[in-house]
Amino acid sequence: MTIVTGKTEARRRLHPGMSGMLRKIWEHRADYAYVLPAIAIMLIVIAYPIYYTIELSFFSTPPGLQLRDKTFIGFDNYTAILTSAVFWKVTWNTLIWTVGSTLISFVLGFAAALALHRDFIGRGVLRAILIIPWVISAVAASYIWKWIYHSDFGIIGAVLVGLGLADRPPNFIDSVSTVLPSLIVVNIWREFPFAMIMMMAGLQTVPDQLLRAAKVDGANAWQRFWHVTFPHLSNVSTVTILLLAVANFNSFIIPWIMTGGGPSNASHIWITHIYELAFGRQRWGVASAYSVLLFLILMTLGYFYVRALSGNERKERGA
Amino acid sequence: MTRIMLGSAVLRGTVVGVLTASLMSTSALGAPPVDLNKWSPEYVRSIAGTQDFDTAADCGKVTPLDYKGRLTFWYQGVFEGDPDLLRQYYKDFFETFRKTYPNIQLEEQALTYNDLLDKFRTALLGNAAPMAVRLQILGGTEFAAKGYLQPLKPEDVGYSTEDFWPGALKAVTWDGVSYGIPTNNETMAFIWNADIFKRAGLDPDKAPATWDDVVKYSKQIHDKLGIAGYGLVARKNAGNTPYRFMPQLWAYGGGVFDEATASPTYKEVQLDSPQSKAALQASYDMYVRDKSVPVSALTNQQADNQPLFLAGQLGMMISHPSDYNVMLDLQKKATGTDKDKAQTVIDNMRYGLIPTGPDGKRAVVFGGSNIHILKPEYVEGGKVDEPAAKAIICMWTSPEWSLKMAYAGSNPGNLNGFKTKWMKERLDSIKFLDVTTSMLPYGIPFPALPQSPEIMNIIIPDMLQNALTGAMTVDQAADDAAQKVKDLMGGL
Repeated sequence: MTIVTGKTEARRRLHPGMSGMLRKIWEHRADYAYVLPAIAIMLIVIAYPIYYTIELSFFSTPPGLQLRDKTFIGFDNYTAILTSAVFWKVTWNTLIWTVGSTLISFVLGFAAALALHRDFIGRGVLRAILIIPWVISAVAASYIWKWIYHSDFGIIGAVLVGLGLADRPPNFIDSVSTVLPSLIVVNIWREFPFAMIMMMAGLQTVPDQLLRAAKVDGANAWQRFWHVTFPHLSNVSTVTILLLAVANFNSFIIPWIMTGGGPSNASHIWITHIYELAFGRQRWGVASAYSVLLFLILMTLGYFYVRALSGNERKERGA
Repeated sequence: MTRIMLGSAVLRGTVVGVLTASLMSTSALGAPPVDLNKWSPEYVRSIAGTQDFDTAADCGKVTPLDYKGRLTFWYQGVFEGDPDLLRQYYKDFFETFRKTYPNIQLEEQALTYNDLLDKFRTALLGNAAPMAVRLQILGGTEFAAKGYLQPLKPEDVGYSTEDFWPGALKAVTWDGVSYGIPTNNETMAFIWNADIFKRAGLDPDKAPATWDDVVKYSKQIHDKLGIAGYGLVARKNAGNTPYRFMPQLWAYGGGVFDEATASPTYKEVQLDSPQSKAALQASYDMYVRDKSVPVSALTNQQADNQPLFLAGQLGMMISHPSDYNVMLDLQKKATGTDKDKAQTVIDNMRYGLIPTGPDGKRAVVFGGSNIHILKPEYVEGGKVDEPAAKAIICMWTSPEWSLKMAYAGSNPGNLNGFKTKWMKERLDSIKFLDVTTSMLPYGIPFPALPQSPEIMNIIIPDMLQNALTGAMTVDQAADDAAQKVKDLMGGL
């Protein structure tokens, strides 16, 4: 049932031709004027590039010609992508990279948050140490890890050989079978502190009295975690996982700097493949089509993220 | 001893003459300042220090020294693998330019070899390119063919076409029009550690004569000493890879096209020929079968081979004479016993000609860089200050600065640079310089095609990686690469 006040009725009479949304905009025109410059900037720096990428994805851009010499080819770029063997290889790599990095980062971050939620001597120092990987620049971290992994004089190899555990240094990033797991380890090392911080913040919201009540009722530590703590963290967990997934799907620096997508495309994920297609091979049309597909996937994840946030707000309001 | 060996090698055989001729176009047969037919270390020594040049006066005739203007300029600068000596010359150049042309407001930006093409292409798409650019030799044709560059020939900046290596001018010519001027030209050499050779039971003063010998020596070094034999490089998107693999490919009689012939037509793709496959097989044998090269070859650049070599963990590699200076720079930074170990390696560092193929064919990439002026419509602000651009191009390509800017690593683009007093000084101070000047006549330019950067930076490394990782057999990798080149040339 809609309650119509005298004031809204008067407004409706004042602008009888306007639909609901337009009328609201008109009523708040001063507010919109304030945000107009920001909206204009967003249209230029976000909306136009998106539009141009979508437009370019329908054109052939031969590498030997300037971009202005492009020719319209409809959905051919999309067809070419979906029928190419590289697409499926890169997609499979991207799935392994995203799912592996996201889930393991989340589990490790959650475990670290639970450990650090208790009060003990040195907790602050340990928390600061664990956050270091997250605050280090991804570029610097990639170079450091490249050195650690180096197949000939890396630290890990030297230690293993020195201890007599291996005859020669293990091959981490120069082998098609080990390169992607090796890069995922680096990504997890860099990302789990983010999950840890998010979950630590979430743990602060778990009501202490509920935990105490459960303890009085005879619940053991696992039961308290599973029936009290975990349900309270479901929303923050969803948001954390979605944020990690979006970041990983879109992650460029670590794979590009450490391997450039190699060897033999074994560590190419979508974003590095798109970069190589566009800037290395100048297939702007194909790269744009890839970007549009990536955009759609990320928007889908974004939709779930917003839904999760809205769910939180609704719950809080209900509480 | 090395000099005698090299001298005789250079003078030997008709191959040198044929290849020298291939680097000389008919237009260059007029009156070049240097007689390329007499090319040998002795000849280079005989002409060094025989002529004086006044750079400021020469360039003042092109752009008056009191000219007032503004110039944006990007250049392929020094990177982590270059010696400190070169860094200093780059610094000196820009200081001297600012003193010589105090009223030109210069905004220069240095980029590394591997970053420059990507950034320049992106800037061009947004019409935000600099007014002038110094690009790697591989890039000139691409941008000329796409119409981004202004016609530019040596005469436009006060020099003559005969002052430059004809082979280098091919790399800036598209459709019969010149779009740039060579700043430096380089041919690399073969480097080995005599002490490692001795300990592995090889002749310490003798470089491997053929590429088959390289495979054999690499295995012997690895099997006897447990260290890497040859410094193979197969990283993608890194200039180091084609510079090291193409000499091998050409020596075996292969090629991407017919670029190793005297008059290339670039019509037929030859990457899948038996000769090209034999070259790829040699790399496969070293990496997979013998495991005698660094495992990190697939992600390495030459800059990664340098510390390995200095640590006595690598027996052989291909590089510039500047690597000797790089080793000295690195050795200075070492501490304790590492310093002594590094000195031992430096004392045992030897340079020789790059090995031949099974049929005696010797080849090396004729590399270098060129300098270009952009068309105004692609430049930020839509204007190009041509006199200012010509001023910096005149200075950089002058006999003096084209030599100084190539002091330790390569050779002056302007052949008159060989006649300067700095060349004489350089011959006395830069060890092993004779070797790379001796390799110049064996130089083969990359195919002068707009598609060359993709072929050399992506398709060739991909072929190597596909074969070396076992993702494909040698035959499949070569066939796959040949097909990719055909597709690329077909506009796909």
